[in-house]
Amino acid sequence: MANYYNIDDILTEEEFVPVVFHKAANGVIIDPSSETNSVEQGAKVELPLWLAQELCLRQAVSISVPACFNQKTRLEIQADAACVDLRSRSPYFYEFGCKIAPLVGDKTVEVLLLSAFKIRYKEILTKAYTAAHTATSKFLTLLTKEETNLYEAAQSSMAAFKKWRKGGPRLQRASVLGRKRKPIE
Amino acid sequence: MHGRKAYQLVKDFASGEKGHLKSFNNELFDRVIEECNEHHNALQSLIRKMQEEGLEVQTAKNADHYGALIHHLSLIRNKRCLMAYVYNRAEIVRELAWNVGLLHELPHEIQEKLNETEEQYFKDHSKSLKLYMSQMNLDVNVDMVPPKDPYIKVRVLEDLGSGIILSDKTANFARHSMHFLKRTDAEQYISRDKDVSY
Amino acid sequence: MASGSEEWSAAQIDDYETLVSTTDVELLKRAWRNEKAAPEILPFEEALVKRAKEQIQLMEETVDDFAESGHDPLIASLYQMDLDRAQFLLRSYLRVRLQKIEKFMFYIWKSDTHRNRLSKEEEKFTERCIRDIGKHLEETVLSKLADNYQSLLKQSIISEEDDMVPEPQLDTFVVAKCQRAMRPLYLDGSRQSASFDRDDHFQMVPGDLCILHYRPFQEELMSGNISLV
Repeated sequence: MANYYNIDDILTEEEFVPVVFHKAANGVIIDPSSETNSVEQGAKVELPLWLAQELCLRQAVSISVPACFNQKTRLEIQADAACVDLRSRSPYFYEFGCKIAPLVGDKTVEVLLLSAFKIRYKEILTKAYTAAHTATSKFLTLLTKEETNLYEAAQSSMAAFKKWRKGGPRLQRASVLGRKRKPIE
Repeated sequence: MHGRKAYQLVKDFASGEKGHLKSFNNELFDRVIEECNEHHNALQSLIRKMQEEGLEVQTAKNADHYGALIHHLSLIRNKRCLMAYVYNRAEIVRELAWNVGLLHELPHEIQEKLNETEEQYFKDHSKSLKLYMSQMNLDVNVDMVPPKDPYIKVRVLEDLGSGIILSDKTANFARHSMHFLKRTDAEQYISRDKDVSY
Repeated sequence: MASGSEEWSAAQIDDYETLVSTTDVELLKRAWRNEKAAPEILPFEEALVKRAKEQIQLMEETVDDFAESGHDPLIASLYQMDLDRAQFLLRSYLRVRLQKIEKFMFYIWKSDTHRNRLSKEEEKFTERCIRDIGKHLEETVLSKLADNYQSLLKQSIISEEDDMVPEPQLDTFVVAKCQRAMRPLYLDGSRQSASFDRDDHFQMVPGDLCILHYRPFQEELMSGNISLV
């Protein structure tokens, strides 16, 4: 697994998806509606992606489209992608969508992700370079993790450019050492 | 649901300030190890049950098989989270070895965030870096910023004592004294926050 | 070289200018840029690094001589800056490589291709890195797990291959500059074939800058036809 130690990948795979069990399983307490410690064939359960995808590959379950890609969200994205609060759907909206798409066999998820990303990417870059603080702070709360990373990268490269143009102190306290404490007088 | 504690452990790491270490979360860590063992016990008993029934564990795909599979998958999920927690923290420890300077001790407030094996890893990695640099006869942890001026004027904030040996002279780093240092010498002290650059 | 208190002759200054050979500094700069931009570790520029170290050594001695001989301090400071820049490039080049090793030590060690790209000192460094992190993970995590799950490289003994090895992202995008004229290439890196039925080919001329996937253009990079920015 190329991304074995990648934190974002691990967190993405904790997102829950709705599954239907094709096979029963004994000795597990993953179905809250079950009275025994087992899952029945035909049971509908919400499982984390890491479990669902492996079971799906072995044909023990089938996965349906998760709530965050439902009709309501799609309509909102079509109306005005830049204003949709994707983070509340999932902070890993895009990564999650990419992993889900081949498993649910729904081609429209890919199209949705791409169109949302294109529109929002433009907004992100514009806001990063114009840096009007009050307008942007609400916008930032709508961004997914990946989008936030892009925004911060754009901002920091802009700041570095400005700093290079201006000159100024170039050596700094190593950031890994944390914030400066007040000097003891 | 399986794997929730492991998820919390990873989140605990992710919620820290980027590049900074929080204290090693022993409680949560040990809890996840415990869960691994619980999954393993459950896995073993389902396998035993199948064997007693004369079934091939890998090929007889009955309810016990899928139960065992789910416990196996949960175990490796927990393993992944534990490994990622330690591995990603180790990345930051390596950065400390690079930045804090290989001859110096860690500041106390950082040291208390590391557990014992991490402290040892810091020392081991520092040694590996030192060995490489002595074999190459070249310091690679200075000069982290492209050079503009060969010399920098600095003012000493804390009394660091006399007889400080630099690359081209010895100096007396008394508090408030000012010096013209070679950039590479100054870098070491500035990154540890003992001087201020002018 | 002039001793002690004598002035530098024009010939000696000329010699020094040749020392600060632009060709090698250019090569070092290019090697540095390539290494910074490439996701994987590139072949070690052994000869170049050796020459650069020798030249830096020579430059250091020259600057010291200048200081002693009381040569114009402004000129001395300019030579010092040149020296600083060469040293920075060399250090940064080596540093970037070490950091790639730290990130992908298992991947590099397992692949003969990548392992052969390391210098002897880097090889020793990689070995130690693996030993150190292995020991750390073993003590903290692996030794506490059930037998079948104790491997550093395999999630469990039923894994068919080493599934715990982080890998560099070779499909990442890079900015590439064409250095030498090349035959037409396709965006996926394959060369022009006899049948001209594909329309996604393009021709880079020297000086062109393109944004490309890294993976298909590894060969072009290794042969020096393109360099990364």
